[in-house]
Amino acid sequence: MQIIISNSSKEPIYEQITNQIKSSILTGELQEGSPIPSMRKLAKDLQISVITTKRAYEELEKAGFIYSIVGKGSFVAEQNLEVIKEKKLKVVEEQLNEVIMNSREIGLSLDELQQLLKILYEE
Amino acid sequence: MFNLIRRDVILQKKQLLLFVPFTLFFVLLGKQNPAFIFLLASLFVPINTFAYDEKVEVNILLNSLPYKRSEIIASRYLGAIVYMLLATGVTCGLFYALSRPFTITDIAISSGLFLLFTALFFPVSYVIKKGYVFPVAMISFLALSIIGPKIVFHFADDLKVITDFVTSLSTPIFYIGLTLSILIIYVVSWMITTFIYQRKGF
Amino acid sequence: MDNVVELNNVTKQFKDFSVKDLNLQVKRGFVHGFIGANGAGKSTTIKMMMNLLKPDAGEVKVFDLDYKKYEKTIKERIGFVYDGNVFYEGLNLKDIKRIVAPAYKHWDNALFSHYTSQFELPMNKSIKNFSKGMQMKASLAVALSHHAELIIMDEPTAGLDPIFRRELLGLLQELMIDGNRTIFFSTHITTDLDRIADYIAFIHKGKLIFDKSVHDVAENYAIVKGRTDLLDQDTEQAFFHIHRAATGFEGLTDDVRNAERTFGGEVVIERASLEDIMYYVKGGLQHV
Repeated sequence: MQIIISNSSKEPIYEQITNQIKSSILTGELQEGSPIPSMRKLAKDLQISVITTKRAYEELEKAGFIYSIVGKGSFVAEQNLEVIKEKKLKVVEEQLNEVIMNSREIGLSLDELQQLLKILYEE
Repeated sequence: MFNLIRRDVILQKKQLLLFVPFTLFFVLLGKQNPAFIFLLASLFVPINTFAYDEKVEVNILLNSLPYKRSEIIASRYLGAIVYMLLATGVTCGLFYALSRPFTITDIAISSGLFLLFTALFFPVSYVIKKGYVFPVAMISFLALSIIGPKIVFHFADDLKVITDFVTSLSTPIFYIGLTLSILIIYVVSWMITTFIYQRKGF
Repeated sequence: MDNVVELNNVTKQFKDFSVKDLNLQVKRGFVHGFIGANGAGKSTTIKMMMNLLKPDAGEVKVFDLDYKKYEKTIKERIGFVYDGNVFYEGLNLKDIKRIVAPAYKHWDNALFSHYTSQFELPMNKSIKNFSKGMQMKASLAVALSHHAELIIMDEPTAGLDPIFRRELLGLLQELMIDGNRTIFFSTHITTDLDRIADYIAFIHKGKLIFDKSVHDVAENYAIVKGRTDLLDQDTEQAFFHIHRAATGFEGLTDDVRNAERTFGGEVVIERASLEDIMYYVKGGLQHV
């Protein structure tokens, strides 16, 4: 499991961890039921405090991405990937709607917008 | 607690190497009273221990290890007796080897004086300021051994009642009484030192 | 949750200095940093935790036990590292081991050898010829070799070079993989704590300013910068201390949300580092 932490980022470190683990799960890099390192091991590897990884794991557990068994460690929870993808899709739709609204305000055509999106997506 | 007593040997390895030639010198010299030589030999380890133990760091170390304060003090008092016995034994050996004369009375006098001296000095050593323990020990020892007898002789007349009483006692009772009083002083001193040490901060 | 160390209303009075009404909880399984300027009361507090000093009032409990009855039990389970060398200076490590090892029931010779070789410590050289860093490593090796649950360290990083400081912090993190272990250490070098501390207690002039998790500190304390004309008697209340300059003011707040409400978008709000907090608090407390 690869996690890259930025100490100068505005995003708190525990959020950086939760986001990266979440995306590893969503992209299928981390499989259902596979173990993830204990929070203490992860803290040591990332050279950060235990309380930070603890918080990250708690948030992941609350959101249903992982589960922990006392004495055994933490594992990737069974994901209803379809549901999660659908949720994400909805968010994307909402965000795109905003983009469209903003584009209309400044008179950006659909073609121009598509081109812009293409450039950004492939970047 | 035995560890604490053994600690002195580890600490004083180098000084202990000096012990035999030091004692040998006095035995060979043969000028001093054997009792005095026994006393010097007995004081050898404890005086060095005093010098070590006045250091704050040493007390911080000992008190951070799993020892009770009462144990630390007990190790001092028991250790002093153990080292006195060992030193007396070795010195006896040296006397024998060189076939110099000495009597049991010499040993009794030196042991008695040693116990009395440590009993007086231990509590004081935990009260006086650090850095002064060793000089105070030396000076008071010298003073005691030089002035002490003179004072006794000086007051001998005034204390006639007591001396008469003492001399009227039979020898065994006299010795038993003396031994008992020294032991009582030693134990009381032990209790006082423990009391002082319990209240110290480091 | 279970506290490894608990100080309840602890007070210790000296001639010219005192620690007053200290309440501190050290939680099991975490690294607890203890910060404060030199002379703020860090060593005094640590000495009370070790029963080297007895408080005038209040209660000290370690592993939920009382020193009066359980001094030995408690100290069996503590590893200590002090600012200065406390071992007999003239001795080498072999002899120090001979003196210290028999004191502990759970002394582990193999572990001690492991650490002394990891730290590259000579066994036959007397401690007084060790550098400051080596003395500290020697203390640490002793502290770690009897399976202590609680490691108490007073300024372990003072006088160490940055590389060894980093190594030390890495080593401490390795120790923390064992969830039963707790580390409490004082420092005035706050960057030591940025990496590994879970909780931070801050003492100033003998009084505890706070004892919080690093997240609480990060989320509540902030530096606010703005134009001087934003300040008046009311708005100043939000700050510990304010620096004014011709170009504007900078202040430390312990309630970011309140500051956001008060000033809105008219100020710049930045995360306060521990150093910032120490610096501003030293400048004087305005409210509290």
